[in-house]
Amino acid sequence: MNDATRPVVHGLVNSGILQRLFLTLGGFSIRVSHAAVGLILPLGVLGLWQFAVIHEWIAVQLLPPPELVWQSLQDLWESGDLTHHLSVSLSRIGWSVLIGSSIGWLLGFSVALSKTARAYLYPSFEVFSQFPVVGWIPLLIIFLGIDEGLKIAAISIAVVVPVTVATYKGISNIPRNLLEVAQVYRFTRSQVLLRVVLPAALPSLFSGFRQGIMQAWLALVFVELLASSEGVGYLMGYARLLMQLDLVFVGVIVIGVIGVTLDLSLSFLESRLQSWLHTVHGEAK
Amino acid sequence: MAHAATLEIKNLNKQYKVRGESLPVLENISLSIKPGEFVSIVGSSGCGKSTLLKLIIGLEDDYQGELLLDGSRIVGTSLERGIVFQEHRLFPWLTVEQNISIGLLNNTKFSEEEKRKSVQEHIELVGLKDFAGAYPYQLSGGMSQRVAIARALVNRPEVLLLDEPFGALDAFTRAFLQQELQRIWEKEGITMIQVTHDVEEAVYLGDRVVVMQPRPGRIKRIIDVPLPRERNRSSAEFIAIKEEVLREFSHTADASAGLIEKAASNEEYSHSNELSYQA
Amino acid sequence: MNLIHLIRNRDWRWAVLPLTLLTVWYVVTTLGWVNTKLIVPPEKVYQAAVKAISRDGFMEGVEASLMRDMSGFVIGSFAGIVFGVLLGLSRWTERIVGPTFNTLKHISLFAWLPLISTWLGTGDSAKIVFISLTTFYPVAINTFDGVRSVPRTQLEVARVYAFTRWQSITRLIVPAASPQILTGLHLGLIYAWMATIGAEFLLVTADTGLGDAVIKGRAAFNVELIVFGMLIIGLVGALLNFIATRIESHLLAWRGDRT
Repeated sequence: MNDATRPVVHGLVNSGILQRLFLTLGGFSIRVSHAAVGLILPLGVLGLWQFAVIHEWIAVQLLPPPELVWQSLQDLWESGDLTHHLSVSLSRIGWSVLIGSSIGWLLGFSVALSKTARAYLYPSFEVFSQFPVVGWIPLLIIFLGIDEGLKIAAISIAVVVPVTVATYKGISNIPRNLLEVAQVYRFTRSQVLLRVVLPAALPSLFSGFRQGIMQAWLALVFVELLASSEGVGYLMGYARLLMQLDLVFVGVIVIGVIGVTLDLSLSFLESRLQSWLHTVHGEAK
Repeated sequence: MAHAATLEIKNLNKQYKVRGESLPVLENISLSIKPGEFVSIVGSSGCGKSTLLKLIIGLEDDYQGELLLDGSRIVGTSLERGIVFQEHRLFPWLTVEQNISIGLLNNTKFSEEEKRKSVQEHIELVGLKDFAGAYPYQLSGGMSQRVAIARALVNRPEVLLLDEPFGALDAFTRAFLQQELQRIWEKEGITMIQVTHDVEEAVYLGDRVVVMQPRPGRIKRIIDVPLPRERNRSSAEFIAIKEEVLREFSHTADASAGLIEKAASNEEYSHSNELSYQA
Repeated sequence: MNLIHLIRNRDWRWAVLPLTLLTVWYVVTTLGWVNTKLIVPPEKVYQAAVKAISRDGFMEGVEASLMRDMSGFVIGSFAGIVFGVLLGLSRWTERIVGPTFNTLKHISLFAWLPLISTWLGTGDSAKIVFISLTTFYPVAINTFDGVRSVPRTQLEVARVYAFTRWQSITRLIVPAASPQILTGLHLGLIYAWMATIGAEFLLVTADTGLGDAVIKGRAAFNVELIVFGMLIIGLVGALLNFIATRIESHLLAWRGDRT
């Protein structure tokens, strides 16, 4: 990895801190060069785009110039429209994730912990989970109209399914021998739950939560495109109707940025959670 | 038909590069193996015995010195050299028969008819006729290792390398497979080189036992085993030779530790640990 | 074993919830406790179903949707497998294409639809491109993971037996990665069906299609048709899932009883 920097450092000083600093710098420069390689393709596409616009290969209505997209993004940001639509979309996500994951955890825990609950509820849930979320929306529109209730309900449904499945699977996959240890030391039911089940299932609980948020993001854009008067999805649908493709591109970019941010922050949280679990339990894997 | 090969190792040296520093793994190995001979190599973790096998099979290049098979230098892998790894390394999506045939995939010497015959013969050789259509998950550890032996032999190689082939098996299966391996060796008459942690196994199977010592890997001593086959593990002569080999171990500083932690026989792993420790 | 014995020994508790819901639905609509324009009685759904199946071109719509679904799925999964294998095998492809791919996959799928429809219209080609894209991501991601997780020990076996590059791909890498590839295809199938219905909802045309029928039912406030359409959407989804599971377990029989 650090072929180039290592001997130099070694020759200069043998101080641990400096050595580590140089190693980090070496790793950093490699990462930077990798990132630069990764930029070749997007920059190439951007160049081709610009080139196509200049030479008028495609009508401007179908392919707006990159600087127009950038301009629109700035305008939208400065006028506060973008922040408005974004905050509407994000608050929908927030509420739905709250409601959906609460239901999902409740359902997941009950079917995982109680044989009776599983026998009564899980088969119906399995059938329910096979229905694409998208399919529910027309019926929900009939019942709830096209107001906020519709969006929250539709997105919540999208969250419930992965959260429930991950919770149920996470708990039922807890190694038997861990539970046997609890049995040997005569743990009470609440002790088993708090000291064995919860910590052991935490990673899968979190990964279900993460999937739930990603599903919510998917459902949000759909429902906003279909029936909404606010939000990022609405913005795109509206722009598409007016043939303002620059705004559509802005929408794609914004949705991408939010998607990446969500994923990065969730995977950061997940890795923190993992390392926390490892230090707490002193597991050396 | 296959003929047994002569293997000539002269002044073999090998280093690994770790973060720009070179670390000797094998130092000045010289060993001459006669056609049809069975040579056992023993040594504690980190003595480079698995690296030696990797060089002979051709999975690793980049060495100094000479490595000659029937007088010509070894370059890359070849179907004339077969190997059995510690883990069976069968392809789980293929049946026993298909797994053995995979060894013949690039064999250009045999006709289709000969290939079919060779596969059948080797299934019988390792006694798995009734399991030809079974998948690896249906086999026990010992059976899987027998399939791996058949796969290695199906090309009729001149030399067969065995990298702790029975290391992961229980004691009963291990003793039985040692007997089986001896029978196969006598029947096929090819050269075999076995790396092992198990001194008894080394003495039971080997015409000679090569004792290696670690850091860097060197040959410490070569001990002849002039006992007739089939050998009796509890005979006084057998035990005497075993003791002699074990004595070599107690002379090397940290060898006893290596013997005790026989279970941790993944040399590769302990090796990388050691490297990071030194670096 | 006699039939009564068989029925007795089955666990029938799963039926309680659906039967209760059905009964409640039936009772409240028959007794007129709810607005039956909104919550239509079960028998009206049944009548709508009979009518839809016998006339109306409803079944043609289902067929058209399935055709779109399958075309998109086949194109998307083929592209996904090829892309995943390439990315998994070549470090350089991964370095150049990987970051872009990993960024684009975070764009919520339906966000592509306005763009696609501007360029390709609202017809079949736009829908199929969208469905392919939806299938592409899970297949490509899982194929890549599968190819990357082929153990080094097995790659060494390939070298010992002098496999050519092509033999290594077809005889080792693809079979070894097949569990993950199949997982990707399974996910792709589920996503493709969602995308089919979603695209039909959003890109309203004069075409026939299951989604089109349902969304037109909404415009006409034909609730029984919506309910029936939803049931069919769910049923097809479940059926596709069932078929995929069967094929998967058949193809992966070599893994034994692992789940």
